[in-house]
Amino acid sequence: MSAQMPSLVNGWLAQALATDSPLLPSHSAMQIWLHLGWSVVLAWLGLRLTARPTTGWAHNKQVQWLVVLGLAAWAWLPGPSGATYWLGLAFQAPSATSVFLCAALLVVRWRAADGANVTPGFSESAPSSRGPALWLSWLAALLGWALLLDSFAALPVQLYAFGFSPAAVFLVAVVGLLPWVFGCYTARDRHLIASGVVLSAALVFVVWRLPTGNVWDAVLDPWLWVALQVYLVRGFFRLATHA
Amino acid sequence: MTVLLVAGALVWLDMAQRASNPALARAVGPDASAVQNAAGLVEQDRGTIPMPDGMAAAHASNLLAMPANHAAALTAFWFAGDRESAANVQIAASQFDRITQRWTAARLVVDRFAMGEKLGFGLRRLGNPVAWTDGGGRMHLFVVATGWGGWAASRVLHLRQSSADNSLGELMFEPVRVLPLSWLWNTSHLVRNAPIALDDGGMVLPVYFELGIKYPVALRFDRDGAFQGLTRMSQRTHLLQPSLVAQSSQQWLALMRDVRPNGKIAVAQTVDGGRHWADLPDLALDNPDAAVAAIAAGAGNLLLVHNPSVSSRSALDLSRSSDGLQWTRVQALEQGAPPAEFSYPAMAWADGSLWVSYTAGRKRIAWQRFGAKP
Repeated sequence: MSAQMPSLVNGWLAQALATDSPLLPSHSAMQIWLHLGWSVVLAWLGLRLTARPTTGWAHNKQVQWLVVLGLAAWAWLPGPSGATYWLGLAFQAPSATSVFLCAALLVVRWRAADGANVTPGFSESAPSSRGPALWLSWLAALLGWALLLDSFAALPVQLYAFGFSPAAVFLVAVVGLLPWVFGCYTARDRHLIASGVVLSAALVFVVWRLPTGNVWDAVLDPWLWVALQVYLVRGFFRLATHA
Repeated sequence: MTVLLVAGALVWLDMAQRASNPALARAVGPDASAVQNAAGLVEQDRGTIPMPDGMAAAHASNLLAMPANHAAALTAFWFAGDRESAANVQIAASQFDRITQRWTAARLVVDRFAMGEKLGFGLRRLGNPVAWTDGGGRMHLFVVATGWGGWAASRVLHLRQSSADNSLGELMFEPVRVLPLSWLWNTSHLVRNAPIALDDGGMVLPVYFELGIKYPVALRFDRDGAFQGLTRMSQRTHLLQPSLVAQSSQQWLALMRDVRPNGKIAVAQTVDGGRHWADLPDLALDNPDAAVAAIAAGAGNLLLVHNPSVSSRSALDLSRSSDGLQWTRVQALEQGAPPAEFSYPAMAWADGSLWVSYTAGRKRIAWQRFGAKP
């Protein structure tokens, strides 16, 4: 029994680190995700744009929600008349993190429009304080740089291929939970949302393998990576100004 | 502790769904009909494959040997349209009929609009097709499909035979997926050369990245055509269009196009069935930034079709080698003068013959058939 343990552990470890037994999403799951994902992202973009004071619609909630619903519906139109046809052509499907983040921001705005308390510090424009959620953003930005370098074969390891392994799922889950653990003693809601978004993305990946079967595609897409860097740079200047 | 428990539960759920790791890949030997003495090959026939009606340009052919009981010996796939990268480019196919000993009229088998509709998103252009037959006898087609941008914005579209019959009149494909090969909006991977068959019924498909830099990548598939991961094949960043050839079950070579001026055909080698690859010194053969095709004819007997020049694709040679490193010309397949162009060769064994196809002047797909000296 004791002699078998090391080989069992070694076998389990080998399986966990293996990149050659990926599971990819089904055709129907990919189709649904493609439309649902872009629908949510477009809805958030619509709200973000119409809520800007310069548009003149900043205080017209009816127009804002009309735009949100219109853009969300546009993503579901089939063929070249639908937004998904062109967005998918250029960018494939959004990451699960992007979709859940946009959904969370929509809910926050919705609650704010109803007069409910907005989650403290939960803003898409810039981080208002240091904390685990901010560090998670930094880690995601660094991951994006590493994946970009890997795309151009500039890393000694094959990072994208590692995203097909169970070990990468473990890593994502552990890192995603850190804001919740360390945020218990600070602004709990904000960190719960950050952890919840990453964990939901990991869960969607494990259950449906969306969007591609590679966990990096589930937690970070290039547009989210670009947005995170804008968010972090803004946050850096805000914190520097108020320091 | 909670963190580890939650993460552990996710990984348990993940691993419970996965199959066990595949065994080391082992290539099967060349087709039983392969001519063992490649030095004794003689031309038996040649010509051009019929084009689909109204299509002015053709490029990037690929040959698929058909089963012995099929009416056709081979199926050829290529892309055809008004010109390369034209909006009307589709994937054309023709079969070499065993009874009439002629190629059938070509038929368009993949349309980007129809495939885009099934995928839920658009495909801007279609390019190189590569065919494979899985362990269950179904055809698979891997096709270059571009997003926004040129060839550098390409992705590899995986299609599977959806018709019950694979005779040309019936042949239809449905999309499986765009293969997930890169984080950067899944650009920029392309496919060009035939896969290497494995003894488990699966295969290893060579592809390449070409956005700015170029490097080769090997993709593994199981006998049903399920994707089993990817491995980078070279540390160098100027090599593309790898052509795989097995020297033994686990020792394979990848012969590659070199984009540098005055380039030579480049080589990478694996000795563990594609798990790890190492670059070897370039061959002595010139390469005018042009595709090559290699095939095994038996133990210690490899064949290569290539353009033997540093600057022109106007000549095409068939060469042989016993070790994959030293090559001798068997014969010239084409000998033109610039601006004549003979490019993008493909090879297959069928009915005891070596079949070679290639693009002629970007307008036709030419073919030649070789057999053993009587």
